[in-house]
Amino acid sequence: MELKYTMGIDVGSTASKCVIVKDGKEIAATSLVHAGAGSSGPAKAIKEVLEKAGLQEADLSYILATGYGRHQLPIARSQMSELSCHAKGAYELFPDVRTVIDIGGQDAKVLRISAGGNLDNFVMNDKCAAGTGRFLEVMARILEVDISQMAEFSRQSAKRVDISSTCTVFAESEVISQLAGGSDKCDILKGIHRSVAGRVSGLVRRVGVVNTVVMTGGVAQNSGVREALEEELKTTIVTSPLAQYTGALGAALFAYQKCIKEGNMDVTANER
Amino acid sequence: MNMEMILKHFEAAAINPKGQLKEYIGKGKKAIGCFPYYVPEELVHAAGMVPFGVWGSNHKTIEAAKEYFASFYCSLAQLNLEMGLDGTLDDLSGVIVTTLCDTLRPLSQNFRVAVPKIPFMFLAHPQNRRKEYGIQYTISQYVKIKEKLEEIAGHPITDADLKASIKVYNQSRKARREFVKLAGEHPELVTPIQRSAVLKSACFMLKEEHTQLLEQLNELLRQAGPSQWAGIRIMTSGIVADSPGLLNILEENHMAIAADDVAHESRSFRVDVPEDTDPVRALARQFGAQDHDTILYDPEINKRPEYLVKLAKDSGVQGVIILMMQFCDPEEMEYPSLKKALSEAGIPHIVIGVDHQMKDFGQARTQIQAFADILATM
Amino acid sequence: MSQQMNGEKKPAKEVLRGVVEQVYQNAWDAKKRGEPIGWSSSKFPAEIAETLGLAVCYPENQAAAIAAKHGGQRMCEHAENLGYANDICGYARISLAYAAEAECEERPMPQPDFLLCCNNICNCMTKWYENIARMRNIPLIMIDVPYNNEVEVSDDTVTYMREQFHDAIKQLEAISGRTWDEKRFEEVCSNANRAAKAWLKACSYCQYTPSPLSGFDLFNHMADIVTARCKPETALAFEQLADEFEEAVKNGTSTWKYKEEHRIMFEGIPCWPVLKTLFTPLKEHGINTTAVVYAPAFGFVYNNLDELMKAYCKAPNSVCLETGVEWRETICRENNVNGVLVHYNRSCKPWSGYMPEMERRFRTDLGVPVVGFDGDQADPRNFSEAQYITRVEGLYEVMEANKQQEGGV
Repeated sequence: MELKYTMGIDVGSTASKCVIVKDGKEIAATSLVHAGAGSSGPAKAIKEVLEKAGLQEADLSYILATGYGRHQLPIARSQMSELSCHAKGAYELFPDVRTVIDIGGQDAKVLRISAGGNLDNFVMNDKCAAGTGRFLEVMARILEVDISQMAEFSRQSAKRVDISSTCTVFAESEVISQLAGGSDKCDILKGIHRSVAGRVSGLVRRVGVVNTVVMTGGVAQNSGVREALEEELKTTIVTSPLAQYTGALGAALFAYQKCIKEGNMDVTANER
Repeated sequence: MNMEMILKHFEAAAINPKGQLKEYIGKGKKAIGCFPYYVPEELVHAAGMVPFGVWGSNHKTIEAAKEYFASFYCSLAQLNLEMGLDGTLDDLSGVIVTTLCDTLRPLSQNFRVAVPKIPFMFLAHPQNRRKEYGIQYTISQYVKIKEKLEEIAGHPITDADLKASIKVYNQSRKARREFVKLAGEHPELVTPIQRSAVLKSACFMLKEEHTQLLEQLNELLRQAGPSQWAGIRIMTSGIVADSPGLLNILEENHMAIAADDVAHESRSFRVDVPEDTDPVRALARQFGAQDHDTILYDPEINKRPEYLVKLAKDSGVQGVIILMMQFCDPEEMEYPSLKKALSEAGIPHIVIGVDHQMKDFGQARTQIQAFADILATM
Repeated sequence: MSQQMNGEKKPAKEVLRGVVEQVYQNAWDAKKRGEPIGWSSSKFPAEIAETLGLAVCYPENQAAAIAAKHGGQRMCEHAENLGYANDICGYARISLAYAAEAECEERPMPQPDFLLCCNNICNCMTKWYENIARMRNIPLIMIDVPYNNEVEVSDDTVTYMREQFHDAIKQLEAISGRTWDEKRFEEVCSNANRAAKAWLKACSYCQYTPSPLSGFDLFNHMADIVTARCKPETALAFEQLADEFEEAVKNGTSTWKYKEEHRIMFEGIPCWPVLKTLFTPLKEHGINTTAVVYAPAFGFVYNNLDELMKAYCKAPNSVCLETGVEWRETICRENNVNGVLVHYNRSCKPWSGYMPEMERRFRTDLGVPVVGFDGDQADPRNFSEAQYITRVEGLYEVMEANKQQEGGV
């Protein structure tokens, strides 16, 4: 029986991610380019993932797109919302997931997954940067640290500093005041993480906290935010090194499902 | 006229209030702008003038209105003021402004002082609207409006005129209610955008002209064979639902609006005016009978959520999409009760934040698409 | 009541505080006795419950106290977790959280058995109290005050309000199990008038230059005119306060302990969670607050039932623009103000909705600088200290420059 390779592309606001899945079971390759919708990012990500998998585009049985920029990809046969794809991908990585927290570059979402792995309910954040990756970027810039260092620094915090504003602009002003007043960067960073956790936990409570709680999306790599969320929600939150690929993984799996359902309509793959 | 022609006529009127207004003025008629909510248009109609609904705009941004409002006010109110300031409303012979929410209160004052060239009519509805003393108060306010309208029209409004207008409006409301039902039964014949145009065009047409076409359309829908449509049926709830961007997304996802609880739509034509009594009193009694609206005091306390659940069930919808007008506190404060009632009834719903100035529908598209996925698996 | 302690009278501010404490205590005691207690809007005609001997407390006052004691954010978040948007008034969010039995030690208050709602101050009131009625399944008595586009209150409005007043009496007779006593009502009205007059008298001392009081004190004292205006103790306490101010004028003292270089009107509800932060830059620059709109806003003086109805039509958010401007410009002129600081209160749409136009009128009519800042009466997340300080400094600089131009002093 011929192998079916399907690809999921997740084009977010700040990054393009691709996952190729073999027979709907095994991840063959992944790629990530830090350029999102409307840029050369998607094309680069597609090229990279094909190279890594040792495949050509024609070897793929189905390509499905998700994410903010999913409607601008003619290469994809169909597209699905990142909500459904994150649900699918999270369920694949963690079969007992019931709540997904996805903090991306521009928005935050919380998903309720049923026992059977279906998307049951969801909530997305208001039109606001606070509680998203954008907020953390702004803060990293002010504190002159690299985003990848934020968690490590915040772990060294010894004194509690609160950043209470819900508005990013006001919060910026608070952070600057703290710095000017001599507060320690580490303490401020912990406060920032707590602030993001506070914002996101409000969303989580609207959906309800049901274990297992999984964090996906770019910000999942920031253990500072994850730990602050655990503290806030009083529950363990798990994540995977594949956190940022969850949407693309879900898309690749949906692609496989559609492929089986519609029969292999990719004549070129058969002919090869 | 066939269905396509009728729908095109409504669409043309819905997207061109300016053109409609110019046409009526060309015919020698005067027009009066009616702001949200519950303006007794029959009074305007009986005076021989054309009531024009003023419910914001999908094609403007708030600029001049910023001199009067901080940012945290709904786009509906701010855009109404914007249109007063940028000349859009210049050809109106007057405006009637109401005060049932905390944004309309300052809007009434801001509009009055910022746009002095348009004759201003103030309408404060009572919240204790059902009891006899409430009806008396409504009558007193309607009489004030009537007197101002008579001044503008240059002649008195007779009881006979008013009774005739009430009949016209009752017929219009009935036709629109029929249409909502029929359009919900035949999504294959009426898209969400067309449905919105049929209802919205009523704001820019004399009701008798609108009804004439609408009754033809309703008949054609009645005669259409049983619908084979296999998509999703939903109910909308909110203040306005006329954004082409959003309506297109519903269509993309094979969603049809089978019922609505929208202030700009069904909330405005649910209740008829009694035809058996003194016409001004009849109008006051109609207002007294209005209910199930977030801006109206609910003396029975829990009726509104119950009503919405019943409406959803009776219309056979699979889910509810709440179009939450940004900064609308009456809608926001109702939400927890609505959420509870819908959850208890097992009716799924989502909330989409909307405002007139939305240009990017990325989030809304994602949410509606995901909602469609959820409803499909149920 | 002023008590003799060591032969010395308690200062008025302590007496006033005691009166408010007693309001809460009365409610707890009534609850213990098994009597129904009510929650009331700040401007619901307090005369009715007082006449029928019903204990009533005030969620707005409670919310302000909770916010001042730094519980505002926690309670707001609790309400938000219940589904109430953070766009909603902070007082309402705090109160809804409390009614939903959120843990709250800052200002305990017994849960209500009935609700007295009057929307003269805002329409949000109606939705707020409807929600509590739903949560706790209790009766809601609604007195609706339609918004007024004119300076005078029309006869139609007076009639409408009188009918609602009588309706409310019937409903509360049923709830209290008591019958209306016209004589007691007259007594209550007399107390309320006396208290209002005394409040206005005390506030009027702001007209003196230098002022015998720090204007911010009025934000605390006003709790009494909100929660206890029908009590004879309130009138006595305010009269005592006025006497103290009289003394201070004679002796050249003041509760404003700093230089009084400038005098401002502070427009809007104060930001309770950060009162100290509001006060600090003002005191540092010698800016005393000598005008607040709460003074005229709570001056409920009336001679008969019709005038009582008209009095309750006069809340800052129920009067037309011109009346609102007149109130403020009058106190600015009477109290010799040379600048205005406007709080754009995120929690209060009706109030903030007029402010841009009012600002323009103040500048033209009074010829003083007017500066606005963003804040919130109860939700600390909507306030930025850095922004506030910058705005106050800006105001100070303009007032200073004006002063120099006029030749100083």
